[in-house]
Amino acid sequence: MPGIIIFSEDSMLAAQLMTPALELKQSLNQPITALALSEADAKALAALGADHAVFLQSAGKWVDGCAEAIFAQVNKAAASIVLIGGTLRGKTIAAYVAARMNAGMTTDAKTLKVENGKLLATRVLYAGLALCEEAVVLPAVATIRSRTFLAPPAAATPGTVESVTVETDARVTLGAVSPTGDTGVDITTAGKLVAVGRGFRKKEDLKLAEELAAVLKAELACTRGIAEDEHWLPIARYVGISGQTVKPDLYLAVGLSGQVQHMVGCRESKVIVAVNTDERAPIFEAADYGIVGDLYEVLPLLTAALRK
Amino acid sequence: MNFELTEEQQLIGQSARDFGKQYIEPIAVELDHTGEYPKALVQALAKHDFMGLLLPDDVGGAAAGFVSYVEVIEDLSRYCAAVASIVNNHTIAAYAIQQWGTADQKKEYLPGLAKGEVLGGVAIYEHGPTPGVGAEALVATKQDVGYVLNGKKAFVRNAGEAGVYVVFAITDPALGAKSLTAFLVKAAAIGVKVGEKLQTMGLKGCPVADLTFENVVLAETALLGTVNGGAAIASQALAVASVAEAAQTVGIGQAAVEHAAAYAKQRVQFGKPVATLQAIQTLLAEVATDCHLARLGLRNAALLIEEGKPFEVEAAMVKSFLARLGSKMLIDTCQVEGGFGYSESMPLPRMFRDIAGTNLLDAPGDFPEKLIAASIA
Amino acid sequence: MPKCLVCYKWTLDEQDIKIKPEDLSLDASRAKGKISDFDRNAIEEAALLVEKNGGAVDALTYGTATVKQSLKDVLSRGPAKVYWIADASAESADAAVTANVLAAAIRKIGPYDLILCGEGSSDLFNQQTAARLSALLGIPCLTFLQKLSVEGAVVSATRKLEDGTEEVSVTAPVVVSVLSEINKPRIPTLKQVLGASKKPNEEIKLADLGLKPEDLVPKATRSSVKGFVMQRKNVIFKESSAADNVAKLKAGLASEGLI
Repeated sequence: MPGIIIFSEDSMLAAQLMTPALELKQSLNQPITALALSEADAKALAALGADHAVFLQSAGKWVDGCAEAIFAQVNKAAASIVLIGGTLRGKTIAAYVAARMNAGMTTDAKTLKVENGKLLATRVLYAGLALCEEAVVLPAVATIRSRTFLAPPAAATPGTVESVTVETDARVTLGAVSPTGDTGVDITTAGKLVAVGRGFRKKEDLKLAEELAAVLKAELACTRGIAEDEHWLPIARYVGISGQTVKPDLYLAVGLSGQVQHMVGCRESKVIVAVNTDERAPIFEAADYGIVGDLYEVLPLLTAALRK
Repeated sequence: MNFELTEEQQLIGQSARDFGKQYIEPIAVELDHTGEYPKALVQALAKHDFMGLLLPDDVGGAAAGFVSYVEVIEDLSRYCAAVASIVNNHTIAAYAIQQWGTADQKKEYLPGLAKGEVLGGVAIYEHGPTPGVGAEALVATKQDVGYVLNGKKAFVRNAGEAGVYVVFAITDPALGAKSLTAFLVKAAAIGVKVGEKLQTMGLKGCPVADLTFENVVLAETALLGTVNGGAAIASQALAVASVAEAAQTVGIGQAAVEHAAAYAKQRVQFGKPVATLQAIQTLLAEVATDCHLARLGLRNAALLIEEGKPFEVEAAMVKSFLARLGSKMLIDTCQVEGGFGYSESMPLPRMFRDIAGTNLLDAPGDFPEKLIAASIA
Repeated sequence: MPKCLVCYKWTLDEQDIKIKPEDLSLDASRAKGKISDFDRNAIEEAALLVEKNGGAVDALTYGTATVKQSLKDVLSRGPAKVYWIADASAESADAAVTANVLAAAIRKIGPYDLILCGEGSSDLFNQQTAARLSALLGIPCLTFLQKLSVEGAVVSATRKLEDGTEEVSVTAPVVVSVLSEINKPRIPTLKQVLGASKKPNEEIKLADLGLKPEDLVPKATRSSVKGFVMQRKNVIFKESSAADNVAKLKAGLASEGLI
């Protein structure tokens, strides 16, 4: 009997995948098989409603190396839909599996449903300029990014858990793995964000934004340039097309112009506020409220006003 | 007939614009403030083959043709016309050697010029009423072997940075301008003195100064072209230069109208962007039209040069057109940008000063109108 | 001495695409073509590798008739030769079809030691091509690279992932996809631009690739493409007094229940 397969090497994302999987299970009346790279993940996914959870046990440590093994499971389950967590590793594995399946794949789906025997997804095009619907014939693969869905509550009856030993791709040698310093910051969970851009002249000036953030009980975020070029803030705080996507209640953009590549990461925020000296900056079109002015003058005044 | 640039010419233009955006745009404002010769930038230009654009590839040039050349000059001028001036004056000097030099002269000078290792300059003007008249007129006195140069040249661009100058001097005060003769003079030659750098109104960064020649001894081999044949060389070289300067003017005008249009779209007065006001639309339309028509005219002249056909009249027409309308383009775009645009932190004031210079400099032997009229009446 | 192939896409410049206010559809009539941004990094990386290690780079592209506009452009950026497939099928081709076509072409013109792609195309950003080619050609793939080097037959790379970097190495042949941060593409010099017309380009006809009709049928189809337009309040304060503006903003934030 064909089924729905889910996989992510990221435990939290794998849990989130169960939500669309459960909806698809309703539409298609097919069982969910969750693939995992640890026994703990397999158990957790079974507890969230996966009918079968399979722990893929391998000697190899390279995550991407499991792609062929995952395909073997997909084949075995005669999967109609494969949902894979849209991490960079996940997307690589997903596209590999899709090619092996001779199937279509939709990348970074924001919504998913089955309609007329096809998987229907919405996704972003042209660096954030447009949205489209993409229909993929079954069997289909879809990747879903972190925090697109929330994990479902625990299921009434957990599914089965089994363990399978698999071969991984021995051709690639994995060398040093250097995790980025865990700053313990997850701006995607912050209710309010103060985002900084190149309007700040030096790193020390970010203090003005920090003080404002403190009084607002907000986290700091930034544009790509501040994180990747200037290294004034860690990558975890970078909002944009290849950074974090955030949906806070308040996104206060200071000294940033509001290019599409940045805005695509924050445009679902509830309220967007902008402070910029350039009246013509695109951020003002994207803002609910804004002040045209020098951040060096405005920020201290705003911080003081909000303290009262 | 085809009004479009060839694919290559388009790609060359795109390279020039990309270069301008990456290398010139970041320093344009500072260059205007300091007026300091941008040595590193010229090296970058050389690396991208912009300094040898017209020269043949056997001397290391890009052999790109004159249409590509004016396209490059226009694109560089959009970012900073002073940089285009440096390139243009250098290229005209190299062009003169390419056209009229002996095999030995070409061998000696062109490779260095093509690679941008040596900068070229042209010394043609004098303080006196016409070349050859007045106390400071540059005179080349024939010796047993060679010549001795005495006198002064005015308003020499790339002065002080150039390694070689194409210098025009009279050989016989009695004959005056009719004895104008061209010479190749190395900057390092004994007796060549560069005067104080002029503080010009615009095009800052392209050095301008007088050159004084005190008993500068030249070998026979320094003669460019024939004795007393300098007037023809000067006339042709200046006509070619004027087409490139037209491209400079159009480049500045185009950059100005695009900036003013962008400004007008977002500047809101009386509840609407000023771009919706007829007065503003008229100003923008006229400037855009002038740029477009001038560009077509100068490309036509450039193509004639490339094909070796007579081009002086067409070049004169473009020159005449822009002499009347060049500065107007900036007067109008400044009008569009109003008070905000008047600030020196905005680009138009610099462009205003620059465009005044592109039209003042270099004229063909006769006033353009005289040449045009002579061609039809 | 790696024999490299760079796969690139000729896309519309998304900066020129406008959103029609009446129905939010896209107007691409004024959009110029460009080599997809990340593919430029792949082309540059291949050029750098060859400058360092010797060998040669070929380029390969599959698109509609407009790909002919890309040939001189790509040849001015390092490749010695460009293979191109121009076919109307490219208009609706999805990632599966594209990979089928490219893989078939590679089987025909290859073999190659190193096949480079950008991490995704700048228009659709499916990010599937490299991994699909890896599956179809039966060779490993290393994706999302910020660094790449070749030593003999060994390809070493640094992948940049969400949680950190991975050093990986593999013996050629291999497919890679590169990030934009891997290099900064140089501006072609005039000689490179002029030299492009002296380099060979070769058309490959789709019919000569031996593909089955079903290989060319897209499995994913796009519809309802709509521009994303921000519907925001646009309440902008621009009094001359910053203090006045701040006071007004404070009131606005309060009205939203944010403070």
